[in-house]
Amino acid sequence: MGFFENLFGRRERSSTVAKERLARVLVDDRYKLTPEMKEQMKIDIAEVLSRYLPSVDPEQIEVAILRGEPNDTLKADIPLRRSGE
Amino acid sequence: MARVITITSGKGGVGKTTTTANLGTALAMQGSRVAVLDADIGLRNLDVVMGLENRIVYDLVDVVEGRARLRQALIKDKRLPELCLLPAAQTRDKEAVTPEQMVELTNQLRAEFDFILVDSPAGIEGGFRNAIAGADEVIIVTTPEVSAVRDADRIVGLVEASEKGPPSLIVNRIKPKLVNRGEMLSVEDVLELLAINLIGIVPDDETIVISTNRGEAAVYDQQSAAGRAFLHIARRLRGEEVPFPVLQENQGVLERLFGMFGRRRA
Repeated sequence: MGFFENLFGRRERSSTVAKERLARVLVDDRYKLTPEMKEQMKIDIAEVLSRYLPSVDPEQIEVAILRGEPNDTLKADIPLRRSGE
Repeated sequence: MARVITITSGKGGVGKTTTTANLGTALAMQGSRVAVLDADIGLRNLDVVMGLENRIVYDLVDVVEGRARLRQALIKDKRLPELCLLPAAQTRDKEAVTPEQMVELTNQLRAEFDFILVDSPAGIEGGFRNAIAGADEVIIVTTPEVSAVRDADRIVGLVEASEKGPPSLIVNRIKPKLVNRGEMLSVEDVLELLAINLIGIVPDDETIVISTNRGEAAVYDQQSAAGRAFLHIARRLRGEEVPFPVLQENQGVLERLFGMFGRRRA
């Protein structure tokens, strides 16, 4: 849906947007995870990882908790700058 | 055995009181003895929705504080002799009643009725705590909107923490055309987000405005789609298996819905 709608310059349908926004906010509510805490988590993740890997930028990190059965999952996207670049 | 069922939502204005009035009326029409109890102290409304506002002599707080006996305060419905209303106090606030008093009150009602429906106030504070204190079961009403669904999820968490057993869900004011265009959350979307049992889908229906204006339940109106939906929910509460008509067209959807039944969240 997204691909074709983007192709024809149409916006994503609002129910899809609502569902995605809600999925994120509900899980954060459940875990009592504030935006501030998420930012701090990114800084802490970068700090820990920098002991092993050079150049992790906390600003580039994205964290999200995903709902699932039987467990929810914390997903973190942590881009690494390639060495020598 | 009597069942105490609290109808709640978190967010205001999603149709708790309309749901309570219609389910209470429907259950009584189907032969159950029903007491509906307005737990929204200070913001009394169930009486006007049911058209019983002129008959109030005593209220819930009068009973709790011993100024009236329960039997004196219960108001009989105009049409259904097996349907009674216990109105909220209008001039007091939520602190006038404790959760323990609500438990005692609902327990007293158990002797005389099959169903005791408690209309909860909006919010998650004292009034809500009072409303669920005596409940065996909780029904959460939501509309397919981000704010209502978010608040419903908060309530799900609080109900689960209160060890009432898993709450069930009514999705109210669904607009099928808007859902088909992809511009409104579908019942499926809401179920997936909240992960609780579905007990009813109520379409958006202007006959609700008219029946509320008149102080008559929509379940009396044969033309009312919402009224029919409430009759279905009442039958489900009485233990009948009633399929969800709106979703029947698509087998896959229905299967997924029933897959949700009995499922508890982590």
